[in-house]
Amino acid sequence: MFKSSNTYLNPQLNISDIVLENPRMFLMLEHFNINVPLDEKTVYEICTENNIDAELFLTIANLYRDVTFTPVVQFNYDKVLSIISFLKKSHHYYISEIYPEISEIIKQMYAVNRNEEISLVEKFFNDYFDEVVEHLEYEDKVAFPYMMRLFEQIENHNPYKQASAYSVNDYKDHHNDIEEKLADLKNLLIKYLPRGNDQKARRKLYLSLHELEHDLTIHAIIEEVVLIPLVANMENQLRKISEQAN
Amino acid sequence: MNKPIDIIVTETSTLIFEGLSAIINNSGIPSRIIRAITIDETVKYMFTNMPYTIICSPSLIQNRQKQFSEIKNEYPNSKWIALIYNWFDPDLTSQFDAAINLTDSPEKIISIINQVSISGANYDAGVKGDILSDREIDVLKLLAAGLSNKEIGDKLSISANTVITHRKNITQKTGIKSAQGLTIYAVVKKLIRLENLH
Repeated sequence: MFKSSNTYLNPQLNISDIVLENPRMFLMLEHFNINVPLDEKTVYEICTENNIDAELFLTIANLYRDVTFTPVVQFNYDKVLSIISFLKKSHHYYISEIYPEISEIIKQMYAVNRNEEISLVEKFFNDYFDEVVEHLEYEDKVAFPYMMRLFEQIENHNPYKQASAYSVNDYKDHHNDIEEKLADLKNLLIKYLPRGNDQKARRKLYLSLHELEHDLTIHAIIEEVVLIPLVANMENQLRKISEQAN
Repeated sequence: MNKPIDIIVTETSTLIFEGLSAIINNSGIPSRIIRAITIDETVKYMFTNMPYTIICSPSLIQNRQKQFSEIKNEYPNSKWIALIYNWFDPDLTSQFDAAINLTDSPEKIISIINQVSISGANYDAGVKGDILSDREIDVLKLLAAGLSNKEIGDKLSISANTVITHRKNITQKTGIKSAQGLTIYAVVKKLIRLENLH
């Protein structure tokens, strides 16, 4: 990951300043279920108000500012629900907002530039969208519920329901680079697709692809660097509880 | 345009990584710095024929010297700088192209990196620009026809591994990785016709 020099955020900062400095924070707040206006509240205040761990919030906010930021905190199992809620909100944004938007822009492009290549791009994107939906639904319906069950078991100190053969390793295996094809699209768009009267649609498409790619990149980092180690830890914790019980 | 040097710092210590990055960034040599933790991760960031400068502790290749020489063969244009902060067997350090000591001055560190590194700009061994080689075009055509790496290899009488190498180079030149994306590229470049698509 590329490195750039940067100072990191702290809980005493005004949350509105952070958003004014970087427009991407707006979307991040939405994923946290935080809406504007933000008034003069600090990070700490807004977190307390919304029942979000400030350290978790700052880790993710730092990632949104600088994708090379390396999260160092090992979060406790009780953060798992907030993380899942954040990821699910992001899924919702992907499936019901940005992907359909991009799909619509490609349609507009084809309307003004009726090249066979553009129609292939349309198909490429729609197939890819199907793949993404399938992947996200798997997380929503299989992986996340599993993690939420682990949470409940630890909370109730109850290892006896550990019947599921599923584990975080399955989740890891299922994990693929869904942002990879966005780079393909960007390259086709900027370098190769035959020109037509579609400059405006192309610019919109390019910006939307960028926005989506950025969010997906951070999404993947949160899953890999924050969520997976956390869930692996929960599995260990449960194993210990069950050993003690025996 | 002056192409930057691609530097991979494979280092577990954030302190050392940040320090080294600051020295390189402040020196003004155009560079892109990537951080990796393990050798396996390092390789993931590398394309076969591109030049990289990898800075890592010899301890990472201790007991893995066979794998290390395989990697060096596979990435012939890359240079390896040992980052030395305790004593290592000279046999181990001799496998590197150069060495930086933890106590070296920033000027010395930069001069070592400069001496060893090949920047993308000075480099013209084949993989350059957007023009695919004939062999790469052969691979691309079959790929667009929906064949797997193995099937392509059988058709062209080359190994599946060689097909993968061609594909990596195609990706590096075009920026496109997926078979479907490359198919669109092939149509744009009139390498295949739409009616021949599977």
